[in-house]
This record gives sequence, structure tokens and C-alpha cells, in this order.
Amino acid sequence: MSAVIVFDDVTKAFGDTLAVDNLSFAVEAGETVAILGPSGCGKTTTLRLIAGFEEPDSGAIEIAGESMLGKRPYERNIGLLFQHYALFPHMTVAENVGYGLKYRAWPKPEIPARIREMLALVRLQGFEARKPGQLSGGQQQRVALARVLATSPKLVLLDEPLSALDAKLREELRTELKQILGAVGSTNIVVTHDQGEAMSLAGRIFVMNHGRIEQQGSPDDIYARPKTRFVAEFIGRMNWFHGRPGDGAHGRSTLITDTGTRIALADPLGAGRWSVGVRPERMAVIAPDVPGEHGNVLPGTVAETVSMGSEFHYRIEGADGPILVVETNTSGARVRSGDRVLVLFAPGDCVPLLDATD
Amino acid sequence: MELTSGRAIDGGLHLAGVAVMGLVVLFLVVPLLVTAVMAFDARPYLGPLPPPGLSIRWFVQFFSDDTFLRGLATSIELAAGAVSASLLVGVVTAAALHRLSFGARQVLMTLFLSPLIVPPVVIGFALLLFLSAQGLTNGFWRLLCGHIIITVPYTIRATLAGVSGIDRSLTEAALALGATERHAFWDVTLPLARTGIISGAIFALAVSMDDVSVSIMLTDSRTYTLPVALVSSMRANFDLSLAAASVMLTGVTIVLMLVLDRFVGVNRIIGQGMFR
Repeated sequence: MSAVIVFDDVTKAFGDTLAVDNLSFAVEAGETVAILGPSGCGKTTTLRLIAGFEEPDSGAIEIAGESMLGKRPYERNIGLLFQHYALFPHMTVAENVGYGLKYRAWPKPEIPARIREMLALVRLQGFEARKPGQLSGGQQQRVALARVLATSPKLVLLDEPLSALDAKLREELRTELKQILGAVGSTNIVVTHDQGEAMSLAGRIFVMNHGRIEQQGSPDDIYARPKTRFVAEFIGRMNWFHGRPGDGAHGRSTLITDTGTRIALADPLGAGRWSVGVRPERMAVIAPDVPGEHGNVLPGTVAETVSMGSEFHYRIEGADGPILVVETNTSGARVRSGDRVLVLFAPGDCVPLLDATD
Repeated sequence: MELTSGRAIDGGLHLAGVAVMGLVVLFLVVPLLVTAVMAFDARPYLGPLPPPGLSIRWFVQFFSDDTFLRGLATSIELAAGAVSASLLVGVVTAAALHRLSFGARQVLMTLFLSPLIVPPVVIGFALLLFLSAQGLTNGFWRLLCGHIIITVPYTIRATLAGVSGIDRSLTEAALALGATERHAFWDVTLPLARTGIISGAIFALAVSMDDVSVSIMLTDSRTYTLPVALVSSMRANFDLSLAAASVMLTGVTIVLMLVLDRFVGVNRIIGQGMFR
């Protein structure tokens, strides 16, 4: 395994704003990494630094072992898939796909065959003579992908690749995109603010905030074990309980909230103030008279029931504030607004984050 | 009650607006129509409307007048030279301006567009003094300089409008695909700014063909433009060959506008909405 791209302490500021702050990471060959974060977190600047549209103020950027400092975009062998595709409107589909081949010194007699091969890859045979304006959004997206992959770039950058499409088409293209990238075997960096896009496309996610990587890991790992409140809330939703650990060796595995609720945890906590997060879909709602051993049991009143079609969102008012519980719609809504219920969740589903040490 | 009176006032204002608009249209169109009719007047003298008969004698007279023909030839040569030069200057300047920061661009734009604000007579006079001091006394070259100055604002502004309308990511896409800045400009920027460039050229052509104020300062006894020839002939012996010339100039302008509309219209069909 060798790193295709390495960022070493890269910093980039625009005026007083630090867009990228001492950023270091490496992406291995054949890997797909997602850089995930809200707008303004520095992910777009990172992408532009890799592509060569911006130069870093300090630090080193290497692609395939070669320093990229001072290299113009056309001197780097990278492919960039733009959010709005950036197809040349005055050129045909074939001219668009062949554009890079011309300048990347592809042998001239092989260019038509390569264009056909790429259009076959994205299943757009027969569209050679069309103009981008005559294609649907999804077709434009595939032409753009064919254009990027045609020159076999060392690294493919994808800027919010699915966000310009409507929801249903997005699902379809996500699968197709993953399949095509897998077939080509390229090394990819997906830059996105959409956690679904990041989790479904990437094997590894960098969650970025304030110009730094706040956490990196596999999608499952980041979802199940977020290290900061920002990561926890950016990737999915969380119910929070705030308080301090109980006393004694056994009590250390219990959070006592500010209102006195006791929440059992899988592992003992250190001293200090803690926030404990629980994912809404890891909670269940039952009527108060159901017997049995349930781990954590919190009483509350159903304040709102929202049907999202495939799932129900219950908002339950408890002693420690509102709790969101998400249940799959398998047999219709089981509780109604005003019902007194119990919220159940296992100690192992609690994610404790230290707020402050004493 | 209130509602009704409100409506009545709105209705009245609407009518007044239509009336003003109608008057303006009449004011703009009627003189042109009168000129057009008089150009075909069969009488050998300037008589009252309507003419008793129609003929093309004034057109014949126009084309048998040596002064007018020389003026027309100069005007055409001048327009060809001035439009080509200011097109080149316009495209190069607009491309350079486009890359500058907003502030610098505004300052330079104001400078380049200043010929639109400075009175043409002042431009002509200043240029006459300057070029004489430089030893340039040839009428044609003097006129060419003047016409480039007054047409360049149009080509710069129209080209810049065309260039600014191009999504930056298109140029970046070309660069990321291996094209140098130079190639990206030729392959992407220039073709997509085509509409702006063409409309700039057509405006420049119209300005060059019509100009009197700057040209009148820069002509010499042998080199003069058609509008200048028309003005002097009007002072010397006023006849209706002027009306015939006006009709032909109007005709040329209408053709130019139709061409412009066709290009802009065609482009609207090729490049759809989001790519502009």
C-alpha cells in the first residue's frame, strides 16, 4: 500500500479566516475517503488545494510521492467531478469526454475508442453527438464522470457528487457511482456535507470542522462511537443526557443527570461533567405496564407523533427534556400523543462524552 | 367605495402611461417616416408633404455625387479597421479585466469606458492636438485612432458581459483536464463569450458608421466620412439626397439589429439556461 495523496501540516487562510488549519492526512491507493463537514468547515478549500486551484500558505502536499507545491492544475494528474458537472455546453458529449485525452497526450488514434469505452462504462452509448443541454441531470452527471475517468487520473475528486440530483435519482446514481468507481479501481476523495453520501460511498470518513479533521474512521465506527458532540450531531441525531457519574466502584457506571435520573452505562466514567448521547433509533417506546428487564427505563409523555412513511418519529417529554425516538414502521403507530410511556435503551448504546474535568 | 375610487385612479394612471408611451413612439417614428417618404419625392425641389409622385432620383443623385461616394468609401474602410482593432482590444482587455480583483476591475472599467462620458467633440479636439504634436497628419490614420477610441468601450463592455456570464467551474474543469490557461481560454471562454463579442462588434460598427462629432475634428480636405460629408453638404446646398442617405443608413442599422437578434436568439437555443 502506498499513499496516493499526503497532506502534511497544510494551512490556508483567506484574510483573517483560517480555512484549513494544520491539516494532515493520507489516502491509500484504491481507497475511497469522504471529507464530511458543514459549509465553511474547510472541505472545499481542501479540495481546491488538492486540485491546484489554491496554493497552501504552509505545509506540504504530495501526490504519488511528488510535491505539488507550485504545480498548476494541469500539471497534476487528478480528475475533478464538479458539483454542477461543469460540462462544456458548446461541445458534444463525445467532445466533452475526449477533452482531457487531447491534453493528457493520449495517443490520437486511440481516442475515439477510449471515448466509446468510457460512454459504455456509464451506459450512455449512442449519446456521442448530443449537447449537454439535451441531457437529463442524471445523464449529465454520468457524462461528467466519464470525462473525469477517461484519462485514468491518479486521484479522483468528487465535489458533492449527488447533491444536485433529486432524492429518487440520488439513490439510483449512488449505487451506480459506487459500482463504476469500484470497477475502475480509482482512488477517490468525496467532498460532501451529506452524511448519507459520505457513509454510502466511502470506506473511511474524515469529519471536518473549523479547518481540522475532528474524527476519522469507518462510517460505522464514526456513527457508533463519535468522539465529540459535533461529530455525534453531524452524523445522525442524538438524545443527550447531562450529569455526573454516581459514587462507588459500581456507581461509576451510572450517570446521574441534573434532574436525578439514573442512566446505566456499559463502562465506568471518570470524574467530571459528562454528556451521554443515545441514537433515537436505538431507543424503543413501550406502554408502562409491560413487564421485563429493559436496561434503562425512562418515563415520559408522548408530545408528538410524526409519520415519515417508512418510520415514526416520537417526541417524548421526560424529566430531562425532550427525547426523540425513531421506530421503523412495521405495524403502524403504537402510541398516540398524550400517552404515558416508557423509553427503553441499553447501556451499551450510550455514548459518554466528557464535557469538563473537575 | 374606497376600492372603487382607488381603481379609478389606477385606471387613470394606466391610461396616462399609455398616452405618454404613445406620444414618445410617435415622436420617434414620425420623423423617420417623413424622411423615408421624402427620400422618394419625385419633385426636384423641397415641397410640402405628401409628395405628388414617387421616384428614386435622390438615390441616383446620391450615387452620382463624388463627395458622398468618397465619404462612403472612407466610412466603410474606417469601420472595418476600427471594428477589427477595437474587437481585438476589447477581447484582450475583457479577458485581462476578468481576472482582476473586483476593485481594480471597477477602476479600470471606468477608465476604459470614459469615452462614453467625455464629450465626443472634446475627444476629437484633444486627439487632433495630440496627433498633430506627434506629427501624424494623415487624415485616415487620425480618423482610425478616433474611431477606435469611441468604439472600444462597446466591445470591452459587451465582451466582459459575455465573459462574466461564464461559470468559473467551466474554466477550472478545462484546467483539471490538462488544458493550460491559454487552451482553456481558446476552447471554453472565447466560444462561450461569442454572443457578447458579436453584439459588441455590431454596436462598434454602428457607432463608427454614425459618428460626426469626433470625425469632424479629424478629417482633412481629402479624407472625410459619409456623415461628415452629409453635414457639409447640408450647409452648402440642402437637397433630398440627404434623405436618401438617411434611409440607407437606417436600412443598414435595421439589418445589423436583425443580425444581432439572430445571433443572440440562436445562442439562446443552443446554450440552455443554466449554462449561461
